[in-house]
Amino acid sequence: MMKLFPASARHAVDLGWLRSSLSFSFGEYFDPDNSSFGVMRVLNDDIIAPGRGFGAHPHSEMEIVTIPLNGRLKHEDNLGNVEVTSAGEVQRMSAGTGIIHAEYNDSDTEEGSFLQLWFMPKERGIAPSYEMSRYDEDKLQNTLLPVVTPDGAGDTASINQDMTIYLGRLQPGRRIFFNQKTGRRAFIMLLEGKLNLNGIAMGPKDSIRAEFEPDFVLSAEEAAFVLLIDLP
Amino acid sequence: MNETLLIKHAVGGRTFVDSSKQQVPYEVAHEAGRWQFAVHTPRHAGIDEILKWKQELNVFIFRVYDDGRPTQKIWYSVAADTVKYDAAGGKLTFAAGSCIEYVPDDFGYKL
Repeated sequence: MMKLFPASARHAVDLGWLRSSLSFSFGEYFDPDNSSFGVMRVLNDDIIAPGRGFGAHPHSEMEIVTIPLNGRLKHEDNLGNVEVTSAGEVQRMSAGTGIIHAEYNDSDTEEGSFLQLWFMPKERGIAPSYEMSRYDEDKLQNTLLPVVTPDGAGDTASINQDMTIYLGRLQPGRRIFFNQKTGRRAFIMLLEGKLNLNGIAMGPKDSIRAEFEPDFVLSAEEAAFVLLIDLP
Repeated sequence: MNETLLIKHAVGGRTFVDSSKQQVPYEVAHEAGRWQFAVHTPRHAGIDEILKWKQELNVFIFRVYDDGRPTQKIWYSVAADTVKYDAAGGKLTFAAGSCIEYVPDDFGYKL
């Protein structure tokens, strides 16, 4: 079963310094029928003004992944981690028993565009931790490259959940296949371009939530930048 | 010094209780390694949400000083199985097994 969520269906937030498109309930946007997709709880597509961001605040029992699309995001936490994450990199924070962090656009002149994703943890009560990883942009070409995995193999960031996050860039006219294991969910967002997914046309920031689909055929009608998340 | 109790949803920050805006007397006692909270309030929608989302609560005490010291925040990790509401007594109770004290101004980014 596959359901298309057009980009325009996301809840829009405009605070001036922050423009965000929310794929799930978050903050004052609360829809009891749209609070999760399996273990996935949040996907916020944030555009943050230069030098602005989120002051120190806590998290617990959540796996939080940030994928910069443009710009630089600076992270500081009470564990002593201070890092700047840019496009081509992925940040993973396991909040576990509790962590305090601040994150903000590290540029004084340019807006930054970041995807923030939250997932329920597989195991609760773990010690909080932070990791930044870098993926090879060349390896995204016409494939789905894992960037977050349960075991952190290779260049991927590890996550405390039975899930994998993939990124891929398809050239126009190219087609790739993704075999979905039985009984799994998949969340697919087209970040740029035009894509056909199993006969469904997708434009930028459209997403599909798929349950118990055996295979995906992704056909790029224009150059396409794809996010695919395999979930329990 | 001005102290405020906040109880919020951990996913996105919806506020369920804000003692700076609501008449909600409360006590916090440190007993047997836990912080025991008692919040006196008639039942309202925020209490229903607290009970529904008890696995995902952020509880804070903010201390704002008038002597130039920076604001201090204390975040408490709530044990979900302790969250209860006594309708007869008009009292919400819960316990926290740990807390983190922090000064927001100590972080590089200041609002």
